[in-house]
Amino acid sequence: MSTAESSHHEEQMIYLTPTPVRIWHWLNALGIVTLCITGIQIRFPDYVNLFGTYKAAISLHNTAGIIVSISYFLWLFYYLFIAGTLIKLYVPTMDDIKRGIIRQALFYFFHFFRGGPNPHHSMPDDKFNPMQKFAYLMIMLVLLPLVIVSGILIMNVAPLRDMIMLVGGIKILVSAHFLIACCFFAFLFVHVYLATMGHTPLAHFKPMWTGWEKIEGHGH
Amino acid sequence: MSIRRTLLSSGLLIIALAWAASALANPNEACLKCHGDKAIIGKGGGHLFIDPITFAGTTHELIGCTSCHDAISSQHPHDGIRPPRAQCRECHAVIQREYAQSLHGGNASCTDCHNPHMVRQPMAVSGDFINAQCNKCHDKAKTVTTHAKWLTQADLHVDAMPCITCHTSSKNYVIIMYIEKRQANKPHSDFREATYAELAEAAGGKEISQLIDVNGDGKIEMSELRRFNTNAKYNDMRLWGMMMPEQVTHSYQILDNRWDCTFCHSTGTKAMQTSFVAFPGKDGRYTRMQVEKGAVLDLLFGTPDFYMMGTTRSTALNIIGALILVGGMMMPIGHGSLRYLTRKNRKEH
Repeated sequence: MSTAESSHHEEQMIYLTPTPVRIWHWLNALGIVTLCITGIQIRFPDYVNLFGTYKAAISLHNTAGIIVSISYFLWLFYYLFIAGTLIKLYVPTMDDIKRGIIRQALFYFFHFFRGGPNPHHSMPDDKFNPMQKFAYLMIMLVLLPLVIVSGILIMNVAPLRDMIMLVGGIKILVSAHFLIACCFFAFLFVHVYLATMGHTPLAHFKPMWTGWEKIEGHGH
Repeated sequence: MSIRRTLLSSGLLIIALAWAASALANPNEACLKCHGDKAIIGKGGGHLFIDPITFAGTTHELIGCTSCHDAISSQHPHDGIRPPRAQCRECHAVIQREYAQSLHGGNASCTDCHNPHMVRQPMAVSGDFINAQCNKCHDKAKTVTTHAKWLTQADLHVDAMPCITCHTSSKNYVIIMYIEKRQANKPHSDFREATYAELAEAAGGKEISQLIDVNGDGKIEMSELRRFNTNAKYNDMRLWGMMMPEQVTHSYQILDNRWDCTFCHSTGTKAMQTSFVAFPGKDGRYTRMQVEKGAVLDLLFGTPDFYMMGTTRSTALNIIGALILVGGMMMPIGHGSLRYLTRKNRKEH
């Protein structure tokens, strides 16, 4: 991975987020926000009409769903077979489970308010803190596949009826899709907020756009 | 002598009364003697055969053959006169006028859709049966293809409501659930409407309605619905809900408001409160049994295979969803507030 030293500060620029990951991230961001907003109209059409017609909301929701699904499988393919870092980046180590998660939670909910340092420093091969690893593991390998599969089933109720019956009927399917979607919506608030907790409020946003993150000091 | 005469005259009176009674009990018997026998098909064509089983119990059977076929002579069929066709409008003038003015009026006559010798009240037929009449001319696959040009999941819509739900102008709709069955030994075979015989076998000697209405009180409670839907014994059966017009009309048309999905998919929890389970009878006629209000809005097992996007959403699920969202918002609101209040601590470092 590339690194570049800044000359006038004790700062280091590291190439944290490769281009395919950034494209995937922003495509996903746009897709998931679209899915959340259109989803609100689809569930509450008598209160919300942002897209003109119900059919427009459904078409946009389906299109965004397909894009996010394809994007997910590209992400999975990239991390599994090209970068090969899926397990290293996303699966918490034993140390993460025993100590890391507690240490990180203590930082976010206690030491942070006292001005203490973040115990985790993002590096290309260790991008996520233990809490992030756990959260993203759940989101990327449990919730997102579930919401994708339930969405595909809901989009094809008549031809895939047998599979829908296997999960207990369309009501269970739609309920699961809705609740997982709520988790994603809730995640958006948490995700965007936590992204403001860098050295500066925008410190974590820039690397997701340019790929480069500024690291202060060498304490990692 | 007088006793013998009295007995004889009494006997003759009894015979005459019995004959009259039998004639009154089945005034159509003379007609069905020939027309109820399949042999007539070979003599003059299939249209001459009237199935006595399906004819029995129809309103037309009650009023009698000669009410409609009033031009039949007493010498029929030996008079050599081909009797004129019955005129539906003689009794159904209002419906006939409504139909004639509709989009469909010039395309099919009454008997193209309704067999007068097995005609039943609209509430006594299933949604599938109604669609089967339309499918005689409107090929189902073509109907799905045509509708798919603008209607999301057209195949599902065509399965979940009779054509008349959209193409006539009923003011209100109810959800009717039919018991569907598939072959027990073929778990992936298609579901189709269960017949009376199949349900009677499943009911094991009880009334078939007691498959669901276990306590036999003539109405279906939510607990009974859940019990039926979660009973492993009935895995090869399901309740298939269809959205039916509350009042059936013959005003066939393409209504502008039906292009708008929110005509059905927007009414929220106030609608969809009225539902029935329709059970087939021995003669194929369906009888509706009222289901406890709100069944189609039940979260999971009330009607697990019936869901109308936007319309039958569950309030309980909405509350859980809202709590999840509030949980997500607590991070920026709660943590963000503390972060703001303790900002000086971080500046010092």
